[in-house]
Amino acid sequence: MDMVTVGEISKFIAFVFSGLTIFFVLVGLMRNDVRFIESGRRSIHGATLFITLSSIALFYLFLTNNYQVEYVAAYSDRALPLFYKLTSFWAGQKGSLLFWSWVLSLFSSIVAFRTRKEVPNRNIPYVYLVLAGCIIFFNFLLLTVSNPFDLLEFIPADGQGLNPMLQNPGMIWHPPTLFLGYIGFTIPFAYAVAAMTTGKLDATWVKQTRVWTVISWIFLTIGIILGGQWAYVELGWGGYWAWDPVENASFIPWLVATAYLHTAIIQERRNIMKVWNMVLIFLTFVLCIFGTYLVRSGILQSVHDFGPTGLGGYFLAFMIIISLGGIYLITASYSELKTESTLESYISRESTFLFNNVVLLALAFSTLFGTTFPIMSEIVTGKKITVGQPFFNQVNTPLFLFLFLLTGICPLIGWRKASAENLKKNFLVPVVLTVIGLVTLLALGITEVYPVISFSLSIFVITTIVSEFKRGTQARMKLNKETVITAFPRLLFHMRRRYGGYIVHLGMIIILIGITGSSAYKIEEKATLEKGETMSIGDYVIRYDSFSSYKKWNRDVYAATLTIFKNGVNVGTISPERRYYINAKQPTTEVSIRSTLIEDLYIIMPGITEYEEITLSVTVNPLLAWIWVGSTIMVLGGLLAIIPKRKKRLV
Amino acid sequence: MIKIMKNNSITVVMIIAALFLLYSPLDANALNVSEVEASLICYACPGEPLNIDRCGGGDQMRAIIKRMIGEGKTKQEILDVFEKQYGETILTIPPKRGFNLVAYVAPFIGLLIGAVVAFLLLKKWGITPQTAGAGAGSAALSNNIQKKINDELSKLDEEE
Repeated sequence: MDMVTVGEISKFIAFVFSGLTIFFVLVGLMRNDVRFIESGRRSIHGATLFITLSSIALFYLFLTNNYQVEYVAAYSDRALPLFYKLTSFWAGQKGSLLFWSWVLSLFSSIVAFRTRKEVPNRNIPYVYLVLAGCIIFFNFLLLTVSNPFDLLEFIPADGQGLNPMLQNPGMIWHPPTLFLGYIGFTIPFAYAVAAMTTGKLDATWVKQTRVWTVISWIFLTIGIILGGQWAYVELGWGGYWAWDPVENASFIPWLVATAYLHTAIIQERRNIMKVWNMVLIFLTFVLCIFGTYLVRSGILQSVHDFGPTGLGGYFLAFMIIISLGGIYLITASYSELKTESTLESYISRESTFLFNNVVLLALAFSTLFGTTFPIMSEIVTGKKITVGQPFFNQVNTPLFLFLFLLTGICPLIGWRKASAENLKKNFLVPVVLTVIGLVTLLALGITEVYPVISFSLSIFVITTIVSEFKRGTQARMKLNKETVITAFPRLLFHMRRRYGGYIVHLGMIIILIGITGSSAYKIEEKATLEKGETMSIGDYVIRYDSFSSYKKWNRDVYAATLTIFKNGVNVGTISPERRYYINAKQPTTEVSIRSTLIEDLYIIMPGITEYEEITLSVTVNPLLAWIWVGSTIMVLGGLLAIIPKRKKRLV
Repeated sequence: MIKIMKNNSITVVMIIAALFLLYSPLDANALNVSEVEASLICYACPGEPLNIDRCGGGDQMRAIIKRMIGEGKTKQEILDVFEKQYGETILTIPPKRGFNLVAYVAPFIGLLIGAVVAFLLLKKWGITPQTAGAGAGSAALSNNIQKKINDELSKLDEEE
C-alpha cells in the first residue's frame, strides 16, 4: 500500500473513531453506563493514533518528493533542504489543517489519559464530547474540502518549491507554536462547557485547566513573538508588527486569554466572576477559530493569508454554533453562575483586576473592530477602505499605556482591602522614583509625549515589581533566618505562581521599552555605493569592502561585505545578501543585523548593478533587542508559574 | 462622594484618551518618504502597506512621493493625490470623516461601556461593612505577620 492510501485511509478511520467517541459517550450518558463512556475515552486514543499515521504519511510524501500529491508539489521541490521539507507540512492551508487536527487529537488523548480514573465523574464525559466534536469538525474538513492527499493527474518533474520568505528558522516554529496556543484553548473551553452542562460551576474547572490555559497562553505568546521576529529578519522593512489582519487575529485571543488568566485567579480565590470567566473562555476559543477563519476565508487582504480556500463558510458555521451554544449555556446557567460574594473595598486587587480586564477587552475590541471595519464600511457605504498600522497605533497606544499603568498599580494594592496607610506606604517609593525618572528623561532631551509617558510608566512598573520582590525576600529573611541568596530563589519557587506573574509583567515592560525606543527614535538612510565608498547613519559609518557570489543549497547568493565603524571604532563586518531561489519568481533580500542592547543596525541590499555597485537601505532601531529579551522573560515567567508542585511523600 | 469620584475618574480617563486620539505624532515631524509611505498601501499589492512592500509598483510610488516632497507638497497633499487617483483604499488610515468616524470612536465607547459595566459589577457585589472593618483592622498588623499570612495563603494556592 502506498503512503497516499495510508494517509487517506488513516484520516477516514480517525474520523470514524472521533464519531465513535461521541456515540459511546452519548449512549453512556443516556444509559448511565460507565463502560460506554470508557469506550468513548479509548476511541479518542484511536482517533489520535490514526491521525498521527496520516500525518506521518504526509511527512513521508514530502521526504520522498512525491510530486503527484498536489500539496507536496505546491510547497516543496527537490532542491529544498531536508529541514524545510519537513516544515513544509504546515506551510500551506491543507497541511496546516491536518497539523491542527493532529495536535488537537494529541491534546485530547493527553486529557483522556490523565482523566482515565475520573470517567465516573459527571463532568468528564462532556469534556470528551466537546473534544471529539472539535476533532470531528477538523477531520470532516480534511475528508471533504481540504484533502492534503489530493493527487494531480500527472507527475511533475519537480515541485514548485517553498516560498523563499518561509525558508527561515522563525517560520519553522512560528506557525506550530501559534497553532499549539490556539488548539490548547480547546481544553479549558471543553471543561467550561462540561461545567455548565452539569451545573458544577464552582472554581474546579478553572483549577483543573489552569496549566492548560497557561501553557496555551505561553505558546500563543511564543507564536506571536516568533511571527514578529520572522517579520523583522525576513521581510526587510525594519519593523516587527504591522497590525496586519492575520497578525491581529492571533493578538485578539491573546488579549482575551490574558484577561481570563487574571480573573480566573479571582474566581479561584473568591469564587466570584463566574459568569465573566465563562464568557472570557468562550470568547477566547471563538476568537481562536475566528483567527483561523480570517486566514482561510480570504475575506480580508493580508500578506499572511492563504487566500480564498472554500473553508470560510465551514469555519463561520462552526463559530456560529459555538457562539449560540455558549450564549445558551451561559444564559441557562446564569442563576447558578451569579456570584454571592461581596467585596470588602472598592480599592482592592480584585477591582484593579476587573479594570485591567476592561482595558484588555477594550484593546481586543478595538483591534477586532479595526480589523473588520473594512468589511463593515463596504457593507454600509459600499466603499472599500483599508485600516492599517497608523490607525491601530493611534487608537491602541493610549489603551496600552493605561493598561501598563494598571500593571504597576495592581501589585501595590492588596487583596480584599487596601488601607490608606498601606497605599501611601506602597506608592511612595515608586511614585518618587518615577518623578525622578521623568525629570531625568526631560533633562536628557526626551520630550515627545508618548516616549516620556512610556518610559516613565516603565520606571513606575519596574519599581513596583522590584519592591514586591524585595519585600518578599526581606520577609523570608526575617521569618526563616535566611540569607538573601537562599531567600530570593526560595521565594520564587515557593510562590512561583505569584512571582511568575510578576516576571511576566517585567517582561512586558521590557518589551514596552523596546517598542518605544525602536518606534520613536528609529532612523533610516539609503545610499548607493561603489567599493571603498562609505555612508553614514547616526553614530555609524558603513564601508563597502567587497562583493562575492556563490551557490548554496537551493539558491544563488550575492553578498556584499561591509565594515562597520561606530564613533570611529571598527566594530566588525556584516554581509547583507540578495538571493535567487530556484523556482522563485523574484529575488529576495536577506537582512543583515548587528544587534546590541543599545540598538540594532539593520541593513538590506535591495539593489546590485552589473558593476557591483550596491544600494543599501539602513535602519538604526534603538533598544529593539529589548523586545526579544522581554519576550523571553515573559515566557520564563509563564513557565515558572506552572512548574508543578513536588508530590508529598507518603509517610 | 464615591459616586462623584467615579464619575470624575471616567471623565478624566475619557479626556486623556481623547487627547491622545487627537494627538498625532506624525504631524509634528519633518517630512520624509518613510513617513508618507507608512500611510499608504502599495497599489500593486492590495493590502500590503507601502513601508513593507518591496515590489516594483512600490518603488514607483516611492519615487512619486520623493518627487512631490521635492516639489514642496505637504504629507496631506501627497496623500490627497493618491486618494484621488486610487480611492480611500490606498490609505492605511481611514480619513476622519463620515462613517469612518465610527472606527475612531467605537473603541473608546467600548472602553466606556466596559468601565460602566465594571463599576456596576463592583456596586452589585457591594461592600460588606463587617469585613471592611476587619480589613481596616488588618492594616494594624505588623508587616511580618501580614507577610506570614500572605505566605501561608500562597502556599495554600500552590497546594490546591
